[in-house]
Amino acid sequence: MLVLLFILFGGLAIGCAVNVVAQRNPLYCAISLIGVFVSLACLYLMLAAPFIAAVQIIVYAGAIMVLVVFVIMLLNVEQEEKRNIRLGFLVPVAVVLAAALIGEVAFILWSVDPNPTLQPSDIGLTKSIGDALFTTYLLPFEITSILLLMAIVGAMTLARRTGMLSPGARVIPGAQLLAVSDIDPSASHDDQTPISSATSDEAAQILGVVKRDQSKRD
Amino acid sequence: MIPMESIIDITLKFVAITVVFTVVLLIVAYTVLAERRILGFIQGRLGPNRVGYGGSLQPFADLLKFILKEDIVPDKSTRFVYFLAPVITTMAAMMTMIVYPFGPEVNLPFIKTIPLVVAHFDVGLLYVLGITSVGVYGIALAGWSSNNKYSLMGGLRSSAQMISYELALGLSLIGPILLAGTLDLTKIVEMQSRWHGMGWLILFTPLSFVVYIISAIAETNRVPFDLPEAETELVAGFHTEYSAMKFALFFLAEYINMFTVSMLATTIFLGGWNCPFADLVFERGSFLFALVSVLAFLVKVIFFLFMYIWIRGTLPRFRFDQLMNFGWRFLLPLALLSIFITATMIFLNFF
Repeated sequence: MLVLLFILFGGLAIGCAVNVVAQRNPLYCAISLIGVFVSLACLYLMLAAPFIAAVQIIVYAGAIMVLVVFVIMLLNVEQEEKRNIRLGFLVPVAVVLAAALIGEVAFILWSVDPNPTLQPSDIGLTKSIGDALFTTYLLPFEITSILLLMAIVGAMTLARRTGMLSPGARVIPGAQLLAVSDIDPSASHDDQTPISSATSDEAAQILGVVKRDQSKRD
Repeated sequence: MIPMESIIDITLKFVAITVVFTVVLLIVAYTVLAERRILGFIQGRLGPNRVGYGGSLQPFADLLKFILKEDIVPDKSTRFVYFLAPVITTMAAMMTMIVYPFGPEVNLPFIKTIPLVVAHFDVGLLYVLGITSVGVYGIALAGWSSNNKYSLMGGLRSSAQMISYELALGLSLIGPILLAGTLDLTKIVEMQSRWHGMGWLILFTPLSFVVYIISAIAETNRVPFDLPEAETELVAGFHTEYSAMKFALFFLAEYINMFTVSMLATTIFLGGWNCPFADLVFERGSFLFALVSVLAFLVKVIFFLFMYIWIRGTLPRFRFDQLMNFGWRFLLPLALLSIFITATMIFLNFF
């Protein structure tokens, strides 16, 4: 029974992984990758590690891949065209790396004890993971959290660009960014100062330019 | 030869799965009817009252209509994903049902003592959160594959909203987990059985409860957070291009999601199947005690469902930037504050 399930989920994982590489449509690749993560979670469950399985689903399938799918949808990435391989030297490198990987797998298969003595293990349980994380591995854990904080701050800094806004300007999330030339066609096109505002009139006010066609519209 | 014990076990599991799915789907079907009748009452009109006594057969009439409708597939949709999306949504909605304890252990005469839960899972709560987070794909892919800009906008809004509110939802559950010391839903409910079934966790973590309820409404895309299907802006959002039974699956998934988040709220905060002072009247483990407990569980869940409908009849819809600001700048810090308070009180041995 367990062997059947292993073959099912292992085969599913391999099939989805091959599909990730083979598909040309990025969204199909993403869906296949989700399939890989879900099958891996099932394999973790069979190895009596429910916590790791659940975290695999929540973090990889539920958070990271959602963002990937989100970006693919948002940018509306078209089907990748078949093009000539410019980096031709990568092919032999890939062959060598694949050979190394297969060699490692073969070594592991050769070196493991075929008839291991089974003993109960609680490595995958919530309690043992929590104990290890907050005692033995406390320092790496804290360092990782600082790394994540840095990533958040970096993303905020890159996304907001508050320095370019005048102090009185109102920032509306989701409002469009306007360049000066969008409001005043006569303005120099070199000036790419982006400003964020709710309406183009407000943007014109912030930039200190008067809209030209305002009288026409009224 | 398979031993007798395991035959009984497998049979009981099948019975449990059948009963749970039938009962839950029936309640969900009647939630739709109740929503229409109660909304009618709130808005000073009648609502559907023709099919059966007082409209009691309306859900089946609706179902028949969905099955018999023509199934229209948009010409330029991405076929495979278009068909996959409602399947993912419905599966993700239904799969969480199996870990909730509907009642206490009960002694069945001649068979054995069985717990009233389909699958006993060491990390039941994480399982629920994981499956819920997978449900986003159904909506996002439905919006993308329809090849329709309203659908795409609806799908994008919905995924953004669900990602944002999932954080607050997960954080609001940490306080109760800290108190219970386990992720096992059965043990969390049993822990609330003290004081004659009155040791509900809402008494210790009221702030978490408020955060949970608000983010649960946002997670299920209900009013006032139903931006993904705001009619005035997006026609019907991500399911604009879906018709007949595929639309019915999305509809069903929304109501099952309502039911499951209500079950989670009941299990975590309102003591699950614990009926106050029932153990004084009936003996623990007896059939009557189990019956009263299951009824108590369903009453609490139905209270939440009523609250959903009540809110829908009362509140207007948010604007999208208000929604995001509220989720990130108010709800998330509130959830963190709630964790801080709970952790501090546990540290000071307050509980």
